[in-house]
Amino acid sequence: MKKTIYIFSIGEIKRKGNTLCLIKENGEKKYVPVSEISSLMIFGETTFNKRLLEFLSSNEITLHIFNHYGYYMGSFYPKTHYNSGFMTLKQCEHYLDYAKRLILARKFAEGSLRNMLRNVIYYHNRKGGLSSTIKFLEDASLKLREARTVEEVMAVEGQAKEQYYISFNTIIDDAEYHYEKRERMPPKSRLDALLSFGNSLLYVTVLSEIYKTHLDPRIGFLHATNYRKFSLNLDVAEVFKPIIVDRVIFTLTNKRMLDPSCYMEELGGVYLSEKGRKNFIEQYEDKLKQTISYERMRVSYQRMIRLELYKLEKHLIGEKEYEPFVTQW
Amino acid sequence: MQVDLPYTLCSSKPITGTLVWYYFICKREVWLMSHEITPDEDASALDIGRAIHEIFYRRMLKEVSLEGIKIDLFKRAERAACEIKASSKFIEAARFQLLYYLFRLKEYDVDADGWILIPTEKRKISVKLDAEAEQVLLKVLNEIKEIARLERPPPPIRIPYCRRCAYKEFCWA
Repeated sequence: MKKTIYIFSIGEIKRKGNTLCLIKENGEKKYVPVSEISSLMIFGETTFNKRLLEFLSSNEITLHIFNHYGYYMGSFYPKTHYNSGFMTLKQCEHYLDYAKRLILARKFAEGSLRNMLRNVIYYHNRKGGLSSTIKFLEDASLKLREARTVEEVMAVEGQAKEQYYISFNTIIDDAEYHYEKRERMPPKSRLDALLSFGNSLLYVTVLSEIYKTHLDPRIGFLHATNYRKFSLNLDVAEVFKPIIVDRVIFTLTNKRMLDPSCYMEELGGVYLSEKGRKNFIEQYEDKLKQTISYERMRVSYQRMIRLELYKLEKHLIGEKEYEPFVTQW
Repeated sequence: MQVDLPYTLCSSKPITGTLVWYYFICKREVWLMSHEITPDEDASALDIGRAIHEIFYRRMLKEVSLEGIKIDLFKRAERAACEIKASSKFIEAARFQLLYYLFRLKEYDVDADGWILIPTEKRKISVKLDAEAEQVLLKVLNEIKEIARLERPPPPIRIPYCRRCAYKEFCWA
């Protein structure tokens, strides 16, 4: 399986023959064979040139840039290599036909809700005290079926998520991570910082997977194709946030893997420091590599994301109705 | 107006050699390929074929391309179009793929012989486009067109080939 490379250091990335060469500030060089890379995530202050972009493009490697605070800034999404006019038309059809779009929007929200529910049930069985959240999420699933507009779907999902985040106060033992209210711009609490960072990592992971399919990342169904460049990755990420990002957060906090030096406070917001990001990414990568059995195959969560996209493609071509992935435990 | 040649899939798109090959292995794959839903290129089975081309025929590799088809090797001296395969499995598929190339070459007034080369087994199988073979080929081409015209892909059927197929995850997801 190809790897995602995370770059934190200050330095230069160069093409060297058919390998990628990372030159650190202190002159230390590291070579990575290009055939082993699926995407590059750049956090550090890095220099590169057009030749590198050409090299990445011909090797179908996506490059993603994050700013000083770990915010996603943008991607170099090479000229798509998997092109199918047929699939693009089908994707548009499912966006333009409102009834069809609503079906998909509901499915993504349903996947999100049901996976949140799995997390809550798991912790309810271990710790108790979450029966009201379970009830709330179950009711929300029913309300979802009655939603007649995409906005209603989003509203139901939003309310469910609010209740779900409140349950983090039971799930996470550490009082440092008390949940009051979700704030994004800027993140106000440590939990906000973890959620914001984790979610943006997941958006990018899904985007890199979309690149390997025939889908167009600009056309989303739940998250409207509005002013953002990409929105399909946000839709698919909703399904996986509870099982990937939230579980990483539970591990990091309950196992006390983060200390005060993992955070930084700047401009009235709380962000992960480089050390915090590195800790997070380590757990996140482990989670992506974790395998489960699915349809007689051993697949990693990363691969599950790809399979999810294939299921979506099959829905679009009218072959099989899309059913979101819901974890078994 | 577009003339409907025996080998045109739709508008001006000709049937490819790969489509003929897959017709004999998996009809669903014919549909997917004809809709440009190409397989996952990370799959290593695809690399094996490429490697065999490079290892065995590095010196003489001269591909001949016609619209929609790519002939692995054309031996001028013998006037033979060659198709290189990794093994003799699916020999029937290889035979028709090559017959299709010979058929297309005939359109250009090139009357060639066909060889299937299997370097790993040191085998060379001769293929000839006679009247009888051409009749069968035309029927195959017609059926390929029919599959491509289907509104949806034929449902997946689990066959031994699935195990190493690059569409495996797409079909069974």
